[in-house]
Amino acid sequence: MGDMTHIGAKMRDPTDDLGCGQPVFVTSFMATPLAVRATLTALLKRFHDEVSDDVLGRLQLVLAEVLNNVAEHGASEDGSYGPQIHLCVTRHPRGLACAITDDGVSLPANCLSPRSLPQLGTLTEELPEGGFGWFLIQDLTHALCYYREESHNFLAFCVPFTPGAATDSADCPRRKCPDVATDWPDLAAVRRC
Amino acid sequence: MQLTISAGDGATVVTVEEKRLDAAIATHFKDRMREIVVAQKQPIILDLHNVDFMDSSGLGAVIAVHKAMPAGMALELAQLTPNVDRVFKLTRMDSVFTIHAAV
Repeated sequence: MGDMTHIGAKMRDPTDDLGCGQPVFVTSFMATPLAVRATLTALLKRFHDEVSDDVLGRLQLVLAEVLNNVAEHGASEDGSYGPQIHLCVTRHPRGLACAITDDGVSLPANCLSPRSLPQLGTLTEELPEGGFGWFLIQDLTHALCYYREESHNFLAFCVPFTPGAATDSADCPRRKCPDVATDWPDLAAVRRC
Repeated sequence: MQLTISAGDGATVVTVEEKRLDAAIATHFKDRMREIVVAQKQPIILDLHNVDFMDSSGLGAVIAVHKAMPAGMALELAQLTPNVDRVFKLTRMDSVFTIHAAV
């Protein structure tokens, strides 16, 4: 999987468009909290002039939860191997389409089950300190899709420009799992490595 | 991890001098804040006006500090930026904390 680093780890030229006339951000990095932070900072710069601060804030929050989840839980059980993440974000008419692959351990199925907030409890000492991540991901995205293929996790979703507005939109194109070869040519290239 | 401690009106004001309260820094923040709240022995106002971004790890750390406060002492929050305010509202933690618009 070392070849992945040769594909990403840089931003594309702003005029690059994957053939659909829209800006794109593609990168690849080791799953560590500091690398996630650096990636999100670069992503903000890339889309700063493209979308509103509100959209950027929601995008950044969702991706922080997803990517740090890979960093925290994706490593092999003996800790000998940290996963590599490949991230692709593309602007579509009604939202930002995100695709994340990693070669870490499989995502537990219950992560994608419909989530509600953890019980807040009535006493201060009962307050939950975690369990918010997948709730936030599900709450802030549309068309959340996950599958496992061989040694890779594939997660895709859309962060809509207008919250709650894109559930039935064909313009936010990830309602079903995409065909990697045609919808995500960069990821198909990764698979071939 | 930069924190500034100053005297407020009946409370100690702790200002987070970081732009991001995220998974890269949450554990360190929680440990430093626990030391501070135990030593201060009075209510704490956590001033977050410098924090442009917070994720659920940062939120969990703030909740942990809240739970670590000495009995009868409150941890209150001040000057949430839009991205931080969003996390508190979405998780309904805005109903748990007293949040001030200004220090």
